[in-house]
Amino acid sequence: MGYTWDFRPVWANLDILWLGVVNTLWVTVLALAAGLAIGLAVALLRLQRPWIVRAPVGFAIDFLRITPPLVQLMWVFFALPILIDVRITAFSAAVITLSVQSAAFFAEVFRGGIISVERGQWEAGRAIGMSGGQLMRRVVLPQAVKRMIPAFLERAVELLKTTSLLATIAYADLLYQATQVSQATFRPLETFTVAAVIYLIVILPASLLVRRAERRLAVSGETTM
Amino acid sequence: MYEFNFDQILQNPGFLWRGLQNTLALYVAALGLGLVAGLVVGMGRYSRRAWLNWPATAFVEVFRNTPVLVQMMWFFFALPMLLGQPLTAYAAALLALTSNAAANIAEIYRGGIQSLHRSQWEAGKALGMGYGQQMRRVILPQAVRRMIPAFTNRAIELAKMTTLASSIAYAELLYEARLLSSQYFNPIEAFTTVALTFFVVLYPFVLLVRRLEMDARAR
Repeated sequence: MGYTWDFRPVWANLDILWLGVVNTLWVTVLALAAGLAIGLAVALLRLQRPWIVRAPVGFAIDFLRITPPLVQLMWVFFALPILIDVRITAFSAAVITLSVQSAAFFAEVFRGGIISVERGQWEAGRAIGMSGGQLMRRVVLPQAVKRMIPAFLERAVELLKTTSLLATIAYADLLYQATQVSQATFRPLETFTVAAVIYLIVILPASLLVRRAERRLAVSGETTM
Repeated sequence: MYEFNFDQILQNPGFLWRGLQNTLALYVAALGLGLVAGLVVGMGRYSRRAWLNWPATAFVEVFRNTPVLVQMMWFFFALPMLLGQPLTAYAAALLALTSNAAANIAEIYRGGIQSLHRSQWEAGKALGMGYGQQMRRVILPQAVRRMIPAFTNRAIELAKMTTLASSIAYAELLYEARLLSSQYFNPIEAFTTVALTFFVVLYPFVLLVRRLEMDARAR
């Protein structure tokens, strides 16, 4: 236990870690936006009556939620380029994998929120002559989205944590930058500890926000998912 | 159009078979230890004594709010500096997965115990039971039943997390698939096989959880 901590080499390379933080947040934001858009579209498909539409979409969602994210990432990075005969950068592989994966999770959140809106609301919209699209946009989604907020935030936090996997395909996220700094300075203990603390500083407030949102909705008597 | 060819995989079952065994060796140990450590940490979280509650809370928040892969890298690259000797990939992966599982399982125990009405404790006390007896004979048997869906969910997540050990060169399923694919240039088949393996093994459990959750809601 005679180890002498020395953080100076890490402070000297803080700009490298900072770049990692920026890249981590950037890829999170991109995947979040794409995941939400695709997720909503997929959820609407999943809610269609015909079995032939509903079942395959449901199966695809399950498949993406059940297979390990790292396997998906490896598949997109190493296998997909051969299948479609296009070169894929680590960045594209990252955005594709994380968007599609979070879309599957968001689709279930959207679906849960939409079906939680009482039937009377749908009937009321129809009674005043709204079309399906209007009904969804003006009556159902505004109520559903409020209930979905905690689940969305939680998923966003999970997504942020999942971005650390991108280090394995050499996308310059925070974890990858930390391994670089650690190899250059021979200070893995200090470097990885600092990286973990940075993750904690970003993620913990988000988690606390999720808990608060859950409590507030519970108080107003609405179920969270 | 690409033609799938699973011949290499079928002719070299050794790779994936070895990977599967190592995945299981990691998974079973992490789940078992995680359940035990999770109960201990969960009790700490539930306790009103600060010297039990604070460390347990810190443990839970740190391991739930940092990425598992970062935890694994920390145990593999950073902890040996403190210990003064290297850790095997298996040990580092096991430490990371166990700690992460314990932190999450602790919250399940806590939630389960808190979900029971106070009168259950009081009934135990009225019969002259001590805290340990109340916990063992009254509270836990009821709470554990309610926790089963959450436990199963956690167990599924843990199974998915074992793939992260490939990044510190522990020879589990995904790592063996990478070896196989670099030897026979068949990443499509190799990674597809791994994905399908996980899906086929885990899907029944996912359906089971849904069933249990539906039953619990109906009750």
